[in-house]
Amino acid sequence: MTKTAEQTELRESVALDRPWVTLVWDDPINLMSYVAYVFRSYFGVTPEEAERLMLQVHNNGRAVVATGNRESMERHVEAMHGYGLWATLAKAEE
Amino acid sequence: MNAVRRFTAQEDGALLGRFEPIEADLLRLATKQLLEMLDSGSADPELAESDGIFARLLPDAYRDDDEAAAEFRRYTSVNLLERKALNAQIVINTLGLSAGEEDAAAETDTAATDTEHRQPITIRLAPDAVQAWLRSLTDLRLTLADRLQISPDGVVHLATEDTPFLRELYDWLGMLQEELVYSIDV
Repeated sequence: MTKTAEQTELRESVALDRPWVTLVWDDPINLMSYVAYVFRSYFGVTPEEAERLMLQVHNNGRAVVATGNRESMERHVEAMHGYGLWATLAKAEE
Repeated sequence: MNAVRRFTAQEDGALLGRFEPIEADLLRLATKQLLEMLDSGSADPELAESDGIFARLLPDAYRDDDEAAAEFRRYTSVNLLERKALNAQIVINTLGLSAGEEDAAAETDTAATDTEHRQPITIRLAPDAVQAWLRSLTDLRLTLADRLQISPDGVVHLATEDTPFLRELYDWLGMLQEELVYSIDV
């Protein structure tokens, strides 16, 4: 197997891998103001985007707040648990 | 409306917070109980896995994969519990001594122990302490919500003589957290 073939194979497997997502779930406890604060301070999104994500959690029961590889999603989930938010990770839906 | 604000921002980024002594005592007491609970979870991981409140403080990171959830918990729970305990300790430290402890330390005269004479206290929260407060207030509310048996629709199901007090404390902590969020700029 040539080096070029290997590289092509690697690129294909990366392209075929679905990314992972970090989900934040609605709970009856956390305040809307606090959840929006966590989104803008931790993920660095604008206040408008933080508000949009927070409302999505509130109205739809959950929101995807980050997308990427599994390791970074696990890091985000741990951080969310540190804030007391209910977060999980999963493979992105196709 | 011109209500007196509890928190005022300082130029160096710190906040000054004004508390009635009874509020500070209550928050100190609740946070000490939280700290004891977190320490018991750190000391006994099996308890932490079986006790319901820990399931909310450290929720499953994977919904449909028990094995991955257990592995995530193994790698993160000690660290998370330690950080939550540290946050609680910071809240206790920034609140300072309770009236009783102050009296014991300073051996003041009896007049000072009269609660009617106790003045509001001002505490200083550096930015790091604000972060610890925000997280600890959340952990306190999660713990209280568990005791109050609050269901996903937000209804309180606990019906004992403790319910009214716990509920009032739960709401007050939420108000305090919201005041804190509104007092800081990101």
